[in-house]
Amino acid sequence: MSEPDVELAGVTKAFGSFVAVRDVSFSVPKGSFFSLLGPSGCGKSTTLRMIAGLEHPDSGSLRIAGTNMAGVAPYRRPTNMVFQRWALFPHMTVAENVAFGLEAERTPRAEISTRVAEALALVGLATMAGRKPGQLSGGQMQRVALARALVKRPQVLLLDEPLGALDLKLRLQMQLELKRIQREVGTTFVYVTHDQAEALTMSEAIAVMNDGRLEQVGSPQEIYDRPTTRFVAGFIGNANIFAADFVPDGEGATMVTLDGLSFRARTDTPLSGRGHVALRYERLRLATGTTLARAVVRDAIFTGSAVHYVLGVENSAVELTAETPYDGTVPLHQRGETVGLSWDEAAPRLFADG
Amino acid sequence: MAERRRWGVPLLLLAPGLALLIAMFIAPLMAFMEYSFYRFRRGRLTADYNLDTYRRFLTDEYYHVIILDTLKVATLVTLIALAIGYPLAYAMWKINRPGLQRWLGLLIFSPILVSVVVRSYGWTVLLSDQGPVNWALRGLGLTDEPVTLVFNLTGVLIALAHVFLPFVVFPIFSSMTRLDPSLREAASDLGAGWWMTFRRVTLPLTLPGVVAGAQICFVLSLGAFVTPAMLGGGRVLVLPLQVYSATSEINWPVAAVGGLVLLIAALLAVLGFNRLLRYSEVR
Repeated sequence: MSEPDVELAGVTKAFGSFVAVRDVSFSVPKGSFFSLLGPSGCGKSTTLRMIAGLEHPDSGSLRIAGTNMAGVAPYRRPTNMVFQRWALFPHMTVAENVAFGLEAERTPRAEISTRVAEALALVGLATMAGRKPGQLSGGQMQRVALARALVKRPQVLLLDEPLGALDLKLRLQMQLELKRIQREVGTTFVYVTHDQAEALTMSEAIAVMNDGRLEQVGSPQEIYDRPTTRFVAGFIGNANIFAADFVPDGEGATMVTLDGLSFRARTDTPLSGRGHVALRYERLRLATGTTLARAVVRDAIFTGSAVHYVLGVENSAVELTAETPYDGTVPLHQRGETVGLSWDEAAPRLFADG
Repeated sequence: MAERRRWGVPLLLLAPGLALLIAMFIAPLMAFMEYSFYRFRRGRLTADYNLDTYRRFLTDEYYHVIILDTLKVATLVTLIALAIGYPLAYAMWKINRPGLQRWLGLLIFSPILVSVVVRSYGWTVLLSDQGPVNWALRGLGLTDEPVTLVFNLTGVLIALAHVFLPFVVFPIFSSMTRLDPSLREAASDLGAGWWMTFRRVTLPLTLPGVVAGAQICFVLSLGAFVTPAMLGGGRVLVLPLQVYSATSEINWPVAAVGGLVLLIAALLAVLGFNRLLRYSEVR
């Protein structure tokens, strides 16, 4: 296996008394699409800016392509960045913006013009070379920012919520476009986003951050199916999360008990004591046969491709939300109706307090 | 109805200012301009309307020199103020500590707080042959003979650049604070060092501030009277001085045409600078 392109070990960064990033370590494999995901203020942008050299870690080490980056200025790093609001130079044309980075490294003029043309063709803006940023739409400015960074052929491309300012339709289109470009150029992408759907769609690996700490690193499916912390379980996808008591059942699984509800959960190692249990909306099934519990429908929310049922468990204060796919063939359950509820033993994720 | 209501309030608000402007400025100006067509001979004004004074301003070498000197002084003062003011604004911006910035701003503003007469006397003392500036120059071994710094063009330029400095610094500083910090980060990220970032990003994007500052400085310099009178030693004959001496001889026609030339020069300068401003602003 080749050397990782970006490697953080124990990186910490504080602004005054506010610790933005605490003891973060991860490595980004060469050529991968790697996302830093978390709510705003979780330290993901600061982490990215440290990779770019725009901020300096207080402690810990940062290596890019095997080289320690301590004291290396941004303009000497093999990284380029697509900024949050794109930061295009408003007084330069699209072509001048893209050429800027090549002029900085004194590329011969003839080569500059061919590479700028190539980069603009890659992002589909060949006909816009003479325009000023002010004459472009948000999506076009985003593409210029991408071309301006990629034309430098960086080892690692850093993207700081580049789609955040676009409307939903355009965002979805640009997600696919970014994936295509990443496959085409084969550059390592480190992508910062607060949008979990975006991270799941685009990434090969995701690092989830919260409150300056790294919560979990893994493939989108790993993160979604096997969240290792309560935060990850709640942040990615929709989950019912409850405080519960755990007791080993003696057969390698754990019995979970919460207010009037008790069920078995298959876990890697049996847990005991207090903790939290997370149940994804779509892992709950409304069943007619053997069920784990009976519940009354309190609300049915129709979202188009799915229905969300808010369910009050009988003889319990527990309220759950279940998501069932909607294909138009089965009538919806009505408010007040009693339904059976079940889920797979592997569905609950347990997190011991501690 | 709606139309009238929309105009009513602005007109009401404009009225006092407009009335004052017409009564105190435009009407006297028109009266004064009438004198420009009078004849002045042997200390006496006669009201036979003619264009003699205008013709003299257009053809007489004497007036050409004065007009050109006036423009030269204004240009040089503007250039000096910009050369000192831009780095000053840049430093103030880079300090990035609001408390310190406020004090520095007050310091830069201070020339305006001092009366022009007091300030000019101050400069005559500072710049005289035996003054502290010459003493320092000799002390540093830069010169043996005292350098004549006052009662000539040099003194006028130093004093005018000093007092108009704030008018240059503040517009530039404000254009710097409006600069999106991520642009400089982007330049650095793309491989540009300090100089390239400054030349290609910071300077072009702060040009509107430079042009605005230059415009104010140039127009104020055109009309400067006290400083050239007190520090020029009779060697700096700018147009306002000429207008002054003409009025004291009750030579109204020369004073009026001189005033008119100043007004036209100022108007042309404003128009020219506005043109530049449009070019320097990002479209």
